[in-house]
Amino acid sequence: MADSLQGTLDLLILKTLQLGPNHGFGITLHIQTASQGLLQVEEGSLYPALHRLERDKLVKAEWKTTDNRRRARVYALTAAGRKRLGEAEESWSALAKGVGRLLRYV
Amino acid sequence: MKNWFRRRDRAAEIHEEIESHLAMRAEFNRQSGTPADAARTTARRQFGNAALIEEDVRRVRGFPWLESLGQDAGYAFRGFVRAPVFTATAVLTTALGIGASTAVFSLVDRILFRPLPYPEADRLVSIGIIAPSVDKNEFVFADTYVRMRTQQTPFSHITTFGFISDCDLSEQNAVRMQCAMVESTFLPTFGVQPVVGRNFTHAEDQPNAAKVALLSYPFWKSRFGGDPAVVGRSISVDGQPTSVIGVLPHDFEMFNITPFDLLIPEAINEAHPGNGRLFRAFARLRPGVSLEQARAAMQAQFEQERGSAPPQFRKELHLVIRPLRDRQIGNMRIASWALFSAVLVVLLIAAANVANLMLARSASRRREWAIRAAIGAGRWRLARQVLTESLLLASMGAAAGWGLAWLMLRFFVAVAPSGILRLDQASLDGRVLLFAVALALVSGVLFGLAPAFDTPGAGGMAAGRTVVSTRGLLRHVLIAAQIAASLVLLASAGLLLRSLWNLEKVPLGMDTQQTIAAQFVTGKGANELAFFERLESRLGELPGHPTFALSDTIPPYGGSRSRPFFVLDVEGRPPYPEGSGGMVGWRYITPGYFAAMGIPMVRGRAFTEEERDAKEMPIVLSRELARRLFPGGDALGRHMLNTGGIWHTVVGIAGDVINNGLDHQPEPEYYELRKHFADATYDNRAPAGGWRGGTAIVRSQLSPQAMAKTLRSLIADLDPSVPVMVQTLAERAGHLTVTPRFDTLLLGGFAAIGLLLAAIGIYGVIAFLVGQRTREVGVRMALGATPRAITRMFLRHAAGWTLAGIVAGLAGSLAVTRVLGSMLFNVDAHDPWSLAAAPTVLLAVALAAAWLPARRAARIDPVRTLRAE
Repeated sequence: MADSLQGTLDLLILKTLQLGPNHGFGITLHIQTASQGLLQVEEGSLYPALHRLERDKLVKAEWKTTDNRRRARVYALTAAGRKRLGEAEESWSALAKGVGRLLRYV
Repeated sequence: MKNWFRRRDRAAEIHEEIESHLAMRAEFNRQSGTPADAARTTARRQFGNAALIEEDVRRVRGFPWLESLGQDAGYAFRGFVRAPVFTATAVLTTALGIGASTAVFSLVDRILFRPLPYPEADRLVSIGIIAPSVDKNEFVFADTYVRMRTQQTPFSHITTFGFISDCDLSEQNAVRMQCAMVESTFLPTFGVQPVVGRNFTHAEDQPNAAKVALLSYPFWKSRFGGDPAVVGRSISVDGQPTSVIGVLPHDFEMFNITPFDLLIPEAINEAHPGNGRLFRAFARLRPGVSLEQARAAMQAQFEQERGSAPPQFRKELHLVIRPLRDRQIGNMRIASWALFSAVLVVLLIAAANVANLMLARSASRRREWAIRAAIGAGRWRLARQVLTESLLLASMGAAAGWGLAWLMLRFFVAVAPSGILRLDQASLDGRVLLFAVALALVSGVLFGLAPAFDTPGAGGMAAGRTVVSTRGLLRHVLIAAQIAASLVLLASAGLLLRSLWNLEKVPLGMDTQQTIAAQFVTGKGANELAFFERLESRLGELPGHPTFALSDTIPPYGGSRSRPFFVLDVEGRPPYPEGSGGMVGWRYITPGYFAAMGIPMVRGRAFTEEERDAKEMPIVLSRELARRLFPGGDALGRHMLNTGGIWHTVVGIAGDVINNGLDHQPEPEYYELRKHFADATYDNRAPAGGWRGGTAIVRSQLSPQAMAKTLRSLIADLDPSVPVMVQTLAERAGHLTVTPRFDTLLLGGFAAIGLLLAAIGIYGVIAFLVGQRTREVGVRMALGATPRAITRMFLRHAAGWTLAGIVAGLAGSLAVTRVLGSMLFNVDAHDPWSLAAAPTVLLAVALAAAWLPARRAARIDPVRTLRAE
């Protein structure tokens, strides 16, 4: 359970990358907009997490030039990352379901 | 590893990535309507501490600890360079502590702690009787031993050693050897097996058995080239065919570390042991039997034996059973422990100094640390910085200390008196070095780390403006402890110095200037009388006709022949009761003896040349002996000591001469005249062994070197095979104080190191205080305090803590110096002079050390100080 909570940021990142490769700033923006401002990712956590995922070969990164001609390090899911995303989604919904039931149980 | 090499690229990449993030955020902000420059600032603020985040990211990749260790080390080195005095002091302090303790421990370790080279050596004991006037070590008489051997119960083995003496390998390439006589049970008792051949049997250890011998390993190697076939061969020892039956292991050493070449049976005459022969006895305790139990078991038997001892000893005898190690190290025990403790104290002082230095340094760096914490250094990162610095200081100190230890050990070996056990084996001990380094490290880390834990985050900045020390008390307690410890060292060194001074002042009773003595031993079977006569006539032909004499022995040490006091009966008086009065030494001299030795005649006259051909027997008494024999002072002309039916006539009384060590009253002595023929005294040679050894004494204005050369060649002319040892009398007398001088030198050296360290400590603390209180001093001076008052303020501070340390140190000294008691001569262990001198010296040094920084405080310019705030 603790694992799943800690892994939440990883889940958010992997889910964002499922839509397509993106850079760190793009990931922050996406999480913020997709959650309609409910979730704010701090850069202080994002970048260590991104590099941890890269070290664990769940994502891969390369320098690319963005649409507005800026160099950025762009991350993309690997096969292992995709597999991990599936597992993470499952365990997250199980967790959410469990927490939901618990909260409703009065 | 690839990761590690790429870590710089990686760091740059991370930096670039985050910069790119910030740029995108700024652009995003601008697009949402924020002005361009504000957009960048906002982006930075939103992002947070970019440097810290970069570091966090770096930590995910690669080897963060290695990377930051490099940073820490680099930072530490820059810090060291910026504070050279601190660095030098810390390294020097550590080096002194580590160097001294490592060198001394390496020295005493062999003596005190390393196991003896025998299996289960802790069960080996030396056993025997102590008779004060005979020998410092315990011995047994043959008859006592033979009875003891059969009746004893506490020992699984018991054996004897019958001393080491000269013997000659009398064959082609004859050589003088050292023969050790032992019982057949000697090797089994010590648990030693010959490497080649076998030990000798009980049957071979009988008076009339065929001669056998075991070779020492070095002798086997040097003389027989290590040839195993030598076993079974016959060699000629002192003209007697002796078969070699074995070789001892290479690491075998005699219990007293004396070198020897041959191990031969001592052949106790078990049928008639009562011939007064002496032995050293050793035994191995049975498993489970304690030393006390063994003593109790042997005491009863000893009481029976007391009666059978020669009467002159009976009253002074007592039984001794002690561990072999105690027997071996003897009187070096206390000196070794004293040295060992002294060096531990030095080590503690050094550790306290390092602690104090680190405390002071970290206190003065709180502001720096507050800044580092504020710009994002984690608390652990700061702690690690201290750790790195301590490690670096300790390793530099250890490296310097190792060098110092090596030098000191060289020095010890060079100045040490001969006869210090296993000194040649002393080598630097890695374990001690590790221990000392660990101690320096721990004290450095412990005290350097303390402020890391109360480093206030960014809030520390405010406090950083005017640092108020919170650990002042600890610092001062450390200083007081240093003062106390060095006081103990100083007081001990002072006592030893006083003792040495007293020893050097003891009148020897003779004039050692310009006299030179050549000691020699003639070969076995030589015509001793003829040799001495020829030597004497050659001495008489020396250029310039110096005063010369021959004697069997000379003072101030080395022993002499002796007789029981009670045989010195006086004509017309009833004989003394047997067994009373102990022993009296005597020397067999030619008439020039007193003049050559510079011994004054108190009354009467010395012997004359004419008396040497006469039948009459003159005798000269020492003042002490005359006082005991003739309390009324009527000694001259009296008849005493009947030898071969002739009474000796007292012709003179000579001054007393030191003959029993500087720390004892001279023992009574008398002198007999060496005649030109073998008279009754000559025939009554005692102990058996005859007159082979002798000493030629010459008092001459010539340089000692020239005279030594002349004497050597003169004796070599007569018989080139006679070994000669030439010394000036002054050199010989100097040996009496070599050991106390060595002890004093070492302890004095450590006291000096301790004092130096304590001075450094006080200097450091006062200098630190001055630095911390600059503003306060400025205010005081602005308000009218004079420079003198400022200096006095700091000095008073130093004096206060020094006095506290001195009080504690005096209490410690009183307890510690009592242990030194047995090393002292004519000095009370609570000698008021030493106990007063040490604090005085210490106080003076402490104030001098405090004065330097205090004077600097007095020069503070109040205007500049206040403006700086």
